[in-house]
Amino acid sequence: MSPLASLLRLRVNQRRRQLLSLSAVAIALSLLGLMLSWLSPSIGAPLRAGLDFTGGTQIQIERSCQGACKPLTTAALQRRLAELELPAEPGEQPPRLGSSAVQLLDEGRQVVLRLPTLTAEQSQAVIEALDPALGGTEPGGLGIDTIGPSLGAQLLRASVVSLLVSFIGIAAYISLRYDRLFAVLALVCLAHDVLITCGVFAWLGLLAGVEVNSLFAVALLTLAGYSVNDTVVVFDRIREKRKELQGSSLAEQADAAVAATLTRSLFTSFTTLLPLLGLILLGGSTLFWFAVALSIGVVVGAWSSIAVAPTLLPVLAKR
Amino acid sequence: MARQQGWLALILALAIAAAALLIQFPLQLGLDLRGGSQLSLQVLPAGSITRVEREQLEAVKEVLDRRINGLGVAESTLQTVGDDQLVLQLPGEQDPSRAARVLGTTALLEFRSQTPGTEEEMRGLLALKRQAQSVLASRRARTEQPPADTDPGASLAPDDLAQALQSLGVEVPPGSSEVRQLELLLDAVNTRIVDLYDPAELTGRELVGAGRQQQQTGSGWDVTLNFTREGGDSFARLTQSLAGSGRLLGIVLDGRSISEASVGPEFQAAGITGGAASITGNFTAEEARELEVQLRGGSLPLPVEVIEVRSVGPSLGAENVRTSLIAALAGLALVAVFMVVIYRLAGVVAVMALSLYALFNLAVYALIPVTLTLPGVAGFILSLGMAVDANVLIFERLKDELREGNTLIRSIDAGFSQAVSSIVDGQVTTLISCFALFALGTGFVKGFAVTLGIGVLLSLFSALVCTRVLLRLLMSYPSLRRPSNFIPRAQLPTAAS
Repeated sequence: MSPLASLLRLRVNQRRRQLLSLSAVAIALSLLGLMLSWLSPSIGAPLRAGLDFTGGTQIQIERSCQGACKPLTTAALQRRLAELELPAEPGEQPPRLGSSAVQLLDEGRQVVLRLPTLTAEQSQAVIEALDPALGGTEPGGLGIDTIGPSLGAQLLRASVVSLLVSFIGIAAYISLRYDRLFAVLALVCLAHDVLITCGVFAWLGLLAGVEVNSLFAVALLTLAGYSVNDTVVVFDRIREKRKELQGSSLAEQADAAVAATLTRSLFTSFTTLLPLLGLILLGGSTLFWFAVALSIGVVVGAWSSIAVAPTLLPVLAKR
Repeated sequence: MARQQGWLALILALAIAAAALLIQFPLQLGLDLRGGSQLSLQVLPAGSITRVEREQLEAVKEVLDRRINGLGVAESTLQTVGDDQLVLQLPGEQDPSRAARVLGTTALLEFRSQTPGTEEEMRGLLALKRQAQSVLASRRARTEQPPADTDPGASLAPDDLAQALQSLGVEVPPGSSEVRQLELLLDAVNTRIVDLYDPAELTGRELVGAGRQQQQTGSGWDVTLNFTREGGDSFARLTQSLAGSGRLLGIVLDGRSISEASVGPEFQAAGITGGAASITGNFTAEEARELEVQLRGGSLPLPVEVIEVRSVGPSLGAENVRTSLIAALAGLALVAVFMVVIYRLAGVVAVMALSLYALFNLAVYALIPVTLTLPGVAGFILSLGMAVDANVLIFERLKDELREGNTLIRSIDAGFSQAVSSIVDGQVTTLISCFALFALGTGFVKGFAVTLGIGVLLSLFSALVCTRVLLRLLMSYPSLRRPSNFIPRAQLPTAAS
């Protein structure tokens, strides 16, 4: 018998306690991460907010170096920034750049500056002021992002509202196609997936300084739609097994449905992970954390549709 | 069978049309892929207006359009976003700072006459203004190229400067340099002068044109104005009332005095007629050009604020295209290998259907057209993995049927018909999320939602129609019509082997 065939005999409801405790631990750890992140003075929010949410200016400069780049320290660049006096509109204070974050990437070929919100003119002044220290910049290799402080709040509101709207829309659709109990289960799974993905990023923010940006919000929203896919497959089969195995208990029917759909749940998640793997390994820095967030969500989503929804179903049905 | 052939012909025709479309209309790349700058402007409510309405947004856009044309930037586009935002896109390596400066100011020009009885205060302020200007010019001369008429010895004692700043109520942040303090002083003086004027009788609305010319003496520039008929008349009336009175004609831009002119007694009879005037504000060539562009475009009905500037250099954009293309191909290859290994002949069909899916998808992008941005590309790559999900569901059903001993053709049909409901349910939930993202998201979030949504709909077509037709076609060859092409022989019941 192949290993897969023995997996097909899996009875999730007999291991309900272990499976659900695992999820409970993951959720507890996620909440802990979100709390710690909130309490941490350097973050002050459940997740480490990136430029898109906090507002500010980020300048990315590609240095032009023949062969090896002239060695450069972040401290030297920071000193230059602190000394710099920026132009300003009359009546407005130019921001001070003393406490700006400077990052060197790609063996010093790339410099990323994180600054307070600057006007386009001020950004230009910063680049000109750093140019001698950088030893010239690559033509066309410049990226400037300036996000006004009001935009972050707009983005946060739009993300939360669209997440809630998708929740409601999905729940309405599932209760229409199945019944209200399944809709509740789908929402529990969704919340489970989104919460754990956020939790992982809270810990990444605490331990590795990973920030969440608007792409992260997009990843969460995509997950909200996608993670139900697997759950729906299981639901569809449970409905079928209910007719097929009329004498059995709901738990047995759910177990049979999970066993019958296990391979496809694993395979559909796996085929979605493969392109994400391509993005993580080869897709460049902009999309890296986006792909990581989606991958975590896909894995957690597969787990919740196999281990959470079918084991919670008999428990909730009794009430 | 005839029906099958009809579908096959349709798919082939679509594939050829898609390929032709892609050759004819290349994909539109967003600024993050080809390099360029994007500026987002927020229209702010002001005065009696508490909410920005559609017409006001359009009115702002009209003025900004004219200003952009005046700037002469190539291929720029200005679009309204939502209820109160505008997005300007500047492709290529164009400095966004000039556009930000020219678009971000209201440019309300006013001509005002000095209030009687303020002559003494005005004299003091103008003396202070001239002093600050000349000191500032000499300080700047050390760092930049000096204007010709600079007095290098000009100075303002630190105590006097501090006292002047204090008398005008200017708060100076600690550690400000002398140049910065002088700038603050000058700005405060220019704001204070405006208080000494009567309300405006003539504004920039009454202009038909604006130009600039170099001063005959000195190196500065003047901005020239041409009034409408009514504007010319009221300018004549305004200057007549001031002529010989010793009071000044104030030219005010966005609440700051930019020029103070005295009108000679010779104009007492009729005022300055002819409908033209010039502003002697000692502008640099650049400043004069920007003011000219703004005045010609008209003043903004509501103030705007630049809330977002994103610019990506062309080589960074090219790098983004390269990495995401490699990632997409790698993802496609991985999915293809997996499908063929697991599902054998059916996997081959799924890969063909997936290639068709990718082709159709890109053709739809070119057709609509969807501007591809980096997140959009990410959505496309992700959808490659999601698109085969439906095939996995169908083929697993197919295998179930074969294991139960059904014939191959029956199993294929059953696989499709039984998997449909869960496939459609799953895709509908994804579409619901796409819809929420599209309706409530902004900017690139919308773009991502569109690409993902198109992907979901096309994947339904590819999985339910293309795969099925291709599979039926292959099944017409007896040598391929063997269950072992779909499933390891060991899993088949003995009766069927």
